[in-house]
Amino acid sequence: MRPSPLPLRRAARQILSSSSPSAIRATAPAVPTARRSLNTSSTQTGSDCTCGNCIRRPQIQKLSKQQQQQRQQQQQVQKQQRSSYHSYDHPSSPASFTPVEESILSAAYQHVPSHGFTSSALAAGARDAGYLDISPTILPEGAFTLIRYHMVKQREGLAARARELFGGEGHVGARPGFSEREIMGRVEALMWERLLGNKEVIGRWQEALAIMAQPSYVPPSLKELAMLSDEILFLAGDSSVDPSWYTKRASLSTIYAAAELFMTNDHSPEFMDTRAFLNRRLREVNEVGGVFRNLREWVGFTATAGVNVLRSKGVRI
Amino acid sequence: MVARPALRRAIPSTLRSTSSKLLQPVSRSFSTTLQTQNQNKPNNSVPEYAIPDPARPTHFGFETVTEAEKRERVAGVFTSVAESYDRMNDLMSFGWHRVWKDHFVSSLNPGFSPLTSSSDPRAPQHILDIAGGTGDIAFRMLHTAHILNGNPDVRVTISDINPAMLTVGKQRSASLPASQQAALSFLEANAEDLTQTKPLGANQVGYSPTTGVPDESVDLYTVAFGIRNFSNIPAALREAYRVLKPGGVFACLEFSKADKHPLFNSIYKQWSFSAIPLIGQLVAGDRDSYQYLVESIERFPSQEDFRDMIVDAGFVVGGRGYEDLTGGVAAIHKGMKPRRK
Repeated sequence: MRPSPLPLRRAARQILSSSSPSAIRATAPAVPTARRSLNTSSTQTGSDCTCGNCIRRPQIQKLSKQQQQQRQQQQQVQKQQRSSYHSYDHPSSPASFTPVEESILSAAYQHVPSHGFTSSALAAGARDAGYLDISPTILPEGAFTLIRYHMVKQREGLAARARELFGGEGHVGARPGFSEREIMGRVEALMWERLLGNKEVIGRWQEALAIMAQPSYVPPSLKELAMLSDEILFLAGDSSVDPSWYTKRASLSTIYAAAELFMTNDHSPEFMDTRAFLNRRLREVNEVGGVFRNLREWVGFTATAGVNVLRSKGVRI
Repeated sequence: MVARPALRRAIPSTLRSTSSKLLQPVSRSFSTTLQTQNQNKPNNSVPEYAIPDPARPTHFGFETVTEAEKRERVAGVFTSVAESYDRMNDLMSFGWHRVWKDHFVSSLNPGFSPLTSSSDPRAPQHILDIAGGTGDIAFRMLHTAHILNGNPDVRVTISDINPAMLTVGKQRSASLPASQQAALSFLEANAEDLTQTKPLGANQVGYSPTTGVPDESVDLYTVAFGIRNFSNIPAALREAYRVLKPGGVFACLEFSKADKHPLFNSIYKQWSFSAIPLIGQLVAGDRDSYQYLVESIERFPSQEDFRDMIVDAGFVVGGRGYEDLTGGVAAIHKGMKPRRK
């Protein structure tokens, strides 16, 4: 015999309308012991707990000024990670590394040409900065943190270089006045500037690329690459808001990664071969872009025509 | 599940008289008064919650007890599981705790020094492994430092409040190479007050407590699967801050929250609350101890909250300050004592 739906509905309404959680527990069927003990735990870890092992909000608010600053910086770093493109609505954060990280990493960076992007460079840097050999282990990603430091610093330095290259308006970013050709020229100049940023560490950059290709470091490396191409397009004055926003960034990332790899094996004076390589790739994108546009047009036309032919034959489409 | 507690008390009645001395709330002895004044604490005034108070309520699993009572009951738990501890760890975590511990030690890379011609002018590395009873972490540290990094100048001190666990570690250390045994020492101490310590087995020969671990004497302070059993975690963190050299690292491997993966979390909770006490009952013949272990895991603060506690004690952290292992079932927290200004 099926139970009448009415009492059930009434019970459900009672549960929904009652605000106190104890009422819910009273009407709920018996739960296994483990689940029940879990419930009690969640109710007991409230703010009324007075033991020293629980985090109480007032204690947190009593932090010293220095610690508060530290936490704010942490939050800013997190915030910056949330918006990974240029936005006028989200303020960009000035610091990507905490002061302590910065002091170790900047000292370690000086050792990169001799030691490479290794824990050796980190430990040597930590000594220079007045820390212990063990201190760099607080960096969450070890040697990769040093690589990321290099990439972040180079990317952040690009805005200043853009101002030098293009005069005052370099940092203003998107403005509608630029023609496609002008933007391409600026993109090429900026990419070349960024590639030259690797000049100091070029002998060690193959090692760095190998570390970046390790599975756990691939996502942050790709993200950094995406942010770089976004930065370059922003500084070049690109203001597209159509799907080409994505294709431009994707093709720029590919070209940059290829040019960077090419540069590690380039022994020509002033890296002339790399510059030629970069120019060829950028030109190809334009040509290939044209081919793709034509292809898309042709596919679109053929499909429409095909549908119309079928319709004329009486197929209901 | 796996647990390496620090705050334990000796159960054998012969030890009780001496060890109860350790359990008093922090009162600096005359010999340490000067040191205490000289230490550079982050805040000159230690907050009230970071001073051990035997009467203050705290957690014991899902129960609320006083700090002194927790100390006593944790001691009971680990004295009763000491013998079967390692076997139980393997059964409960499918041997995965070895992977965590290996990763923990390799991420710290003890004994590593840059490949420069000059050796470090400063004193050799000193590692303090708190709640290190059975030596799991300490033996790995020695292996990494002495063999992988070829640096014999690394000393490891295993500290534990529970002599029963230390005895197990001492027995296991007999199979190490002699050079590693020589670099190892055992210490019976309360992590909330490292000013009073004694070597293992000291009470049998009428040894008086030593001066303890001096200020700024430790390069690396590790605690693996132990800190959640402490009666007063903030006090222990401040004690860690005191004994570490500037630039020294506090590293903690502990169970944490897998809340980020709801499905996985529900399976994990089911396993820990229903299977682990059962395995404890069948293999170790002690259900209550393992019930406590899983409840204490549930009670331990989340990754972010614990990170804030570490920062609150004066440490600086890198990045987000922690690393999740196996989706957050365990987490590694690291903090560094900042350089003096």
